Amino acid sequence: MASPMHQFEIQTVLPLPSVNVPGIGVIDLSITNSIMSMLIAASIVVLFFAITTAKASVVPGRSQLIGEGIFSYIDDLTTGIIGHEGRSFFPFVFTLFTFILAMNMLGLFLAFTSTSQLAVTATLGMMTILLVLVVGFIRNGHNMYKLFVPAGVPWYMLILVTPIELISFLLRPVTLALRLFGNMLGGHVALKVFAGFVVSLGAMAAGGGLGLLGIPGAALSLGGVVALTALEFLVAFLQAFVFAVLTCVYLNDVVNLGHHH
Amino acid sequence: MAVETTPPPGPDSALAAAGTGEVTATTEAAHGGSESGGLPQFKFEYWGGQIVWLLLIFAVLYTLLATVFVPRLRRILDTRAKTIADAVEQARTVQAEAEVQAAAAKAEVDAARAQARALAGDARTKALADLARSQAAEDERLEAELSKADERIRAMRDAALTNVGDIAMDAASDIVAKLTGVKVTGAEIKSAQGAA
Repeated sequence: MASPMHQFEIQTVLPLPSVNVPGIGVIDLSITNSIMSMLIAASIVVLFFAITTAKASVVPGRSQLIGEGIFSYIDDLTTGIIGHEGRSFFPFVFTLFTFILAMNMLGLFLAFTSTSQLAVTATLGMMTILLVLVVGFIRNGHNMYKLFVPAGVPWYMLILVTPIELISFLLRPVTLALRLFGNMLGGHVALKVFAGFVVSLGAMAAGGGLGLLGIPGAALSLGGVVALTALEFLVAFLQAFVFAVLTCVYLNDVVNLGHHH
Repeated sequence: MAVETTPPPGPDSALAAAGTGEVTATTEAAHGGSESGGLPQFKFEYWGGQIVWLLLIFAVLYTLLATVFVPRLRRILDTRAKTIADAVEQARTVQAEAEVQAAAAKAEVDAARAQARALAGDARTKALADLARSQAAEDERLEAELSKADERIRAMRDAALTNVGDIAMDAASDIVAKLTGVKVTGAEIKSAQGAA
């Protein structure tokens, strides 16, 4: 019986030379199963939009309608949260959403889920928060401190509020990374555990005698796997959506700093 | 826990040597037993590669979406919105124009109706005037004829009355001649008449 954690093991698929980056160390650039799934997910996204917008017309066909639906969904999200300036951040949010969604979904069809790798989710989280910081400093300059000092709060409250705001800001990339990572990890572990029950209880039943009691247990576990798979599809979409929403919210904080808080 | 250094169950080393794809399933099966505790995600020797590749893939995906697909979809949606807005605008213009035309047509009809009414009124007054005039003329003519007839009747009566005197005179002379056998002249009778 494979451990439920085994599915998260990194395996080298195509060995490539390692690069020694001074100050950081040796980076193995081999294509692993994680990178392979990322490549496939990105290709699926590109392929999907290439197909759906191939014969782009004002009156959409069926496939174009699906592509437009996803587009409008995220477009409404960014303009809804950030406002009319959301359009300039839309490609980033759109890429995040489609890429994470593709990786999450791919995990339910392939043996590997890239978003269950903390390295991947942490990178995505850091990317997002770095963008937020860069945009914040470009747009607000030295006024960035207002992010941590809410207007209209008395000074004695600021002593309390500012550290909280600062910590909550610093925790943003951590929560972004851990939320996605934890959801994917937990879901896939639960699936694996229930699937493992089916096999072990089935094996017990195959032994005959009292072991036959394992049959209802195995059936129950199988039902659990089916239900959990359905749930995982929802989670796969929801986590991609949540990541996109939070990216918009964090961008909105710095884009509209001091406008309507 | 390095994958390649584990005492190799046959197929894995073969595949690693071959260095080809589609290993995932095989290696997963082959490595089943060689697990220990701890999350595989915290093996930091794999972080570097994943981060570099993720950044690379993300950059490529971002570039493709931002330069090709997003503008393409944006253009379609904008074109559609513009088309619909234009059509609505055009419909509104046409409707306004139709309303103006309808008002003009109504005014025209009203004018024509008023004109017709005026024309009819004129014709009626004219006809009435004509009628009155011709009636008056006729009345006058009849009046004249009547008075002429009266005149004639009066003349005839006068003539008749004169004749009556003559007849009476004749008759008187005849009667006198019959009764007396004396012929009397008109003058005598007249005098007698005057005496009577």
